[in-house]
Order: sequence, then C-alpha cells, then structure tokens
Amino acid sequence: MIATIQPQKILRELNEQWDQLDLEQASSGGVLRACAMTLIVTANDDADAEQVRRTLGVLMHEHPSRAVILKVRDDAEFEARVFAECWKPFGSAQQICSEGVEIVSDPVRLEEAAQLLVPLRVPDLPAVLWCRGADVFHLRAFDVLFPLADKIIVDSSTVSRAAAALGFLRNLRSRGFRAADLHWTRLTGWREILAHLFDDEAMRGPDIVSARVSYGGATPSTCALYFSSWIENALPQARVALASEAGPPGLRSITFDSTTCELSLRRDGSSIQITGCGRNYRSPLAPMDEESLMREELKFLGTDPVFERVLG
Amino acid sequence: MAEAQNPFADPLRFERRVPECAIVIFGANGDLTKRKLLPALYQLAADRRLPASFAIVGTSRTAMDDETFRAKMRPEVQRFLESGNFDDELWTHFAANLHYVAGDMNDPALYQAIRDKLAQIGQRNVLFYLSTQPSYYSIAADQLGAAGLGESAPGAWRRIVVEKPFGHDLASAGALNARLHAAFPEEEIYRIDHYLGKETVQNILAFRFGNGIFEPLWNRRYVNNIQITAAEAIGVEGRGAYYQEAGALRDMIQNHLLQVLATVAMEPTAVFEPHAVRDERAKLLRSIKIMRPSEVAQFAVAGQYHGFREELGVDPAAQTDTFAAVTFYVDNWRWAGVPFFIRTGKKLPKRSTDIAIQFNSAPLSLFGSADGELSRRPNLLILRIQPEEGISLRFFSKHPGSGMHLRPVSMDFKYGASFGGRSPSAYETLLVDAMVGDATLYTRQDMVEASWKVVEPILENWQSQKFHFPNYEPGTWGPVEADKLLARTNHQWRNS
Repeated sequence: MIATIQPQKILRELNEQWDQLDLEQASSGGVLRACAMTLIVTANDDADAEQVRRTLGVLMHEHPSRAVILKVRDDAEFEARVFAECWKPFGSAQQICSEGVEIVSDPVRLEEAAQLLVPLRVPDLPAVLWCRGADVFHLRAFDVLFPLADKIIVDSSTVSRAAAALGFLRNLRSRGFRAADLHWTRLTGWREILAHLFDDEAMRGPDIVSARVSYGGATPSTCALYFSSWIENALPQARVALASEAGPPGLRSITFDSTTCELSLRRDGSSIQITGCGRNYRSPLAPMDEESLMREELKFLGTDPVFERVLG
Repeated sequence: MAEAQNPFADPLRFERRVPECAIVIFGANGDLTKRKLLPALYQLAADRRLPASFAIVGTSRTAMDDETFRAKMRPEVQRFLESGNFDDELWTHFAANLHYVAGDMNDPALYQAIRDKLAQIGQRNVLFYLSTQPSYYSIAADQLGAAGLGESAPGAWRRIVVEKPFGHDLASAGALNARLHAAFPEEEIYRIDHYLGKETVQNILAFRFGNGIFEPLWNRRYVNNIQITAAEAIGVEGRGAYYQEAGALRDMIQNHLLQVLATVAMEPTAVFEPHAVRDERAKLLRSIKIMRPSEVAQFAVAGQYHGFREELGVDPAAQTDTFAAVTFYVDNWRWAGVPFFIRTGKKLPKRSTDIAIQFNSAPLSLFGSADGELSRRPNLLILRIQPEEGISLRFFSKHPGSGMHLRPVSMDFKYGASFGGRSPSAYETLLVDAMVGDATLYTRQDMVEASWKVVEPILENWQSQKFHFPNYEPGTWGPVEADKLLARTNHQWRNS
C-alpha cells in the first residue's frame, strides 16, 4: 500500500543509514557523504535493478548522487528500501558513500510514484532521469516522470523504428524538456576521431563532395541517422548517403569523397582504421559501456547545442 | 586554435586534443622526464588526446639508441603513472613514436641531429622542453637560435617550455629572458609553474569569478588578512646540493606562492583569455609593495631546521633558509592595508598547502562571553590546495541546549566527494596547454620580473647577514620569530 512508503519515512531511513554507516566506520573517521545530484533510474526487473546498482557503484566515483531506482513491474505492490554505495579512494582511510532508494511500482501507479519522488529529490541540486530500455519511447506512463528532471537520458539503441525515436525526442524538446540519447553519446569516439582529421586545414573547404555512412543491419539505427545529420550540418555542400552492409548493427564505416582523394574510417573491433588522403593508421575508440556513456552524459546537464542541431 | 574553424568541433564533448606536433625534451634522462613528463604524455595518449603522429624526441648526454631509451623509460612510466593503468599494447604504440638523440648541449652537432630527427619524423610543429639543470637554459636557447630551430615555417609553430627557476635573481632572470627572446618570440616562450596547473589553483578563479556571493566580500572592507601556507613534512630528500643554493624564498615564494597570491588577489578579467588573465596576474604582482632594506627584518623571517646541515651535499655552515615567512602588502584600492602572510618550509608538522582568508569579526559580540575567546574567532574561508583538496567555511552556530552559546563549525566541500574521478596532473594540463598554444596558466616575462623585484630586497638582506641557524625543530611550525611576525600586528598563524 502506498501508505507504507511515506517519503518522510524514506528520508528518515536514509538518515538512519548514515548514522549506522558512521558507526560502522568510526575507527577510520566515519564516512564521507557525497551527493551532487538526484539520479532517478528506471529498471524493468530484479536483474535490471542489480545491473543499475552496479553501474551506479561506478558512476558515483565521479557523479555521486542520491539515486532513486524505480523498478517498474506489472502487478507489483509499492515497496521502498534504502541502500548505500561506498568506495574507498586509493590511499584514503575514509570511505565515500552515496545514498539510494529503490522503489517498486506497478506501471499503472507511476503517477503516484512520481508524486513520491518529488520530496525525495535533493533540494537545490539538479535531478536527472535515466530511462533505460526502449519502453520510454512508446509507453505514455513515463510522461509523469519527465517533469521531475532537469535532464532526461534515454537510449534508442534497441528501438525498432529509428525515425519514430527521433520524433519522440523532438517532441520532448518541443515540450520544454532537455533530453539526451545514449545512442548519440556512443558516437562521441567516432566523432572525435573524425573531427581531429578535420583539424588539418587541407581537409576543409569545398573539396569534399560526398559522404557515405554505412551501418550494419537492414535499416538505419538512430546512430546512423545522427551521424549523417551531423555531417550534413558540418559540410552543407556534401551529399550524404546512408548505406546498409552486413555485420552487427551500429556504425560500420564513413567514407568521404573529395575531388582529390577518398578518406575512409572503418570500425575494426574497438578501433577505427583510417585510410586514404595520405593517412593509414588506427585510432582506439572510447569505451562504450553503459558506465562510460553515463559518465559522459552526466558531465553536462545543460543544452547540447550540437545534438540539438543534429536532432533538427 | 584549430577547433574554432573545424566544422566538426564539439567543445562540449571533445577533450582538447593536441595538434600534430613533436616534443623535444632536453634532459630526457633526468628525474622530471621520468617522473612527470613521460607519464603525463603517456596518460594523454591513454585518454586519446594525442594525434597518431605525435612524436617525442628525448635528448641528453647519455649515449643510447631509440630502443634502449624506450626500454629504459617503460618501467619509469609504469612506476610513476598516477592513474596506475599501464597498458602494454598502448605502450607499444606510444613507444613507437619515442625517439632519442644523444649529445652535449654545448655542441652544435646535437642541434643538427635534432633537426635531422625532426625532418625524419616529419613534424613542423615542435615544442622544445627544457628539463635540464637551469644553467643550461641559456645555452639551449642560444644553440636553438643559432641552429634556426626556433624559426617556424608558415602556418606552423615552434615553442619552448622553460622550467623554474627563471634566473636566481632579477638580473639573471632578465639575462635569461634576453637570450630566450633571441631565439623565440615572447608568445612562444612558456615558463612553467606547475602550481598554476593544479586543478585546485585553477579552481580559485572558478570559485571567485564563477560565484556571485564571494567577490563582494573579497576586499579590504571585509577581509582582515590572508594566509598562504605551503608546508612540507619532509626535508630536502637528497636535493641538498641544489636546495642550499636556492632556499625556501627562491624555491617556493618567488614563483609558486606569489603566483597563488596573484590568483587569489587579482582583479576579475573581462574575458577568460590568456592575455587577459595574465595581464591581471601581472598587474597584481606589480602592485605588491617592495620592501625597503630597513623593513625586511620587520616583515620577513628566515629559518632552518635542525639537521639540515647534516644532509648529504649540504655545507655544514650553510645559511640556507629551509623556512621563510613574509608579510606582503598589495598597494591597490582593493587590498590596501590587508596583510598577506606567506610561509613555506620543510620539516614542518604536515604536508599541507592552503589559503586561509580571514574575515573581520562581527562588529559586536551579542552573545555574551561564556565561551570567551572562542566565540570571537573570525570567519575563515579555507581553500585547500593539497592534500584533501577542497574548500571550508568556518562560521558560528548555536550550541544546542539552553542558553546562547556559540561554537565555530565548519562547512566542508571536498573535491573527492563531488568529483571523485581522477583529476589530470598539473603536467598533463600544462603540456596540452603549451601544445595547443594556451598560455593562460604559464607565467610571462613581466610576471617573473615583478616577482623577483618583490623578493629581491629580502634576498639581499638575508645574504648580507649571518643567521643563528638552525632555529627550529623538525615537526614544528618554524622558528618562534615567525609567530612574532604576526603578533606584531595582533594576528596569529592558523595552525590547524
């Protein structure tokens, strides 16, 4: 019953947890309480929630937060429990801890859950909503969570209709929400390597006439659409085409044709092979695990002007 | 910078990357290269911030080939890498661009060999890094100039990084500058003061000018005094021969701590650009009141710890200051009359660098005197540079219970708690800055000369007298005269 998880009770339990942690760690000077934001994360089931806890454990090193894991499960009773994630920096006697609350809710009661979350946000600090999985793109139930956050992070990597996913993000933006997509974040490594090639002035100018963005699978994913849009924005004179090729989904290669040479960036494992226009070398891609993507996304909570342009 | 015109630039997401270039390190077999420079460059490679063609050319007198140099540097990088994440495969890529040229810095043949190596590597942009004994700085500048290595091709650049000390007094600093200028224009000379590369020192600017609530208090109306302490618990640790020639005033105050003072006290800039920031720092340094010889005894205290003269390589009668405390005044409208107490020393009770801004006490003591002196302590804002980087504000709070008893309490911000990730080392920051051409965190000729002008009267006075050294015990906060220095103006050091 909702009455069993009054926000005041959760806040009291959080305080008691800190007292307990301090007591347990008294010999090493207690624990250092760290919090820079409220991070609300949705999870589908117990295994998903466990994965979220592991990710939060890594994220808290750079982005300590009060985490609220909202486990959305059909026919679930409202439940809440508090937890803490701690780590000890190398050479330090004192543990640094972040607090968290795990709430279980039936999807039909998400509105009540959202009301419960309002007092659980840390006052005066930013709040971020991280909606894992593809449900957020089609379930209206999530709508009630959006107003709680200064930034909404979604992941379109598993959606089946990329164009619809982009429409969803544009719609969020038009309603005044600030949204980010981890499938765009996955492109940072690619984009950085490409951008660095264009630090060379010889690569700029009107010489590039066309670009081809190749993706794995039958239909382009959002990342292929993002990348082609990004190139179109940067090189308005170039024709940009999308091409499908065999292999796992995701970006496979980018090819630029200029009046003098052809430059290719092709994914090869965890690296990019750059060839053509006098170049032949490999460059490692930045890690793309969930922790790394979230770490990057939580670095800036304001508007991402490049993403806004790419979204169109 | 390239980013400004690059159609794919994304400054929000992309780390600043180093442009295509080579770095030539003089003194490649020395401690600084092993402990700081190569680990910092390797870390930049690990963070994918170096271009694929980035090359390092090490040079020193020791005869070695490229392979031997690589093999020699590998365990050093592994040992001194701050992140501890050494990767064999990455090292293989990194080491492939690690080259070595042996030679005598006095010999023009060395510079011809460097020129040949750079041509072989094919890099037009070159950063020369002087990581040698200071006595070689002028020689390197002369020889680089004579070999034409300071001249850049159109659209390319040649820069030089000079480690401190920049001279040993005003005259020698001027002479060194003149010789550097003969080979490189001032805007391509990067005088490194690694203190300015520390995240926490950079944060002073963020704290002051990124927040609206502190700057209105940052002046003589509200600030009673400012104390800057750089304490080391260790002694000279095998650097006795160097240190006895330098001393604490030269080694720390003339450069690091005056730069910190300038950062704390400078006026806000209109824009956050290298020239603007450095102009304000320089202006502040020029505003520091120069002591008359007769004032030195009143405003400066020298100390030496028991046992210094027994250190390896130290003269048994050395007059070296292993401790220095100085009161500076800044002659401008903002700071007139506010004392800046600076002290630094070795073998002090703990390793700690911080800045304490002590505000004026409340004009009236409303809450009785039950707690006596305690309840009249002033508000303190502490900017901790190292260790435990962070910021604390001390203020008063009512002690719970009956009666109105006040207790000082501390509101703490710790970097580790809000930004737990690894901060880039000062050398990572400063190397990238030099390679992308951002001199904000480097010192300029006029700043160096202004600093020497400030400390020179003290140096001259101290050189002309014989101290009764040693005068403090290891593990104490320096000689008792340092306490008297502040007591004269009814102040006391913050020793917590």
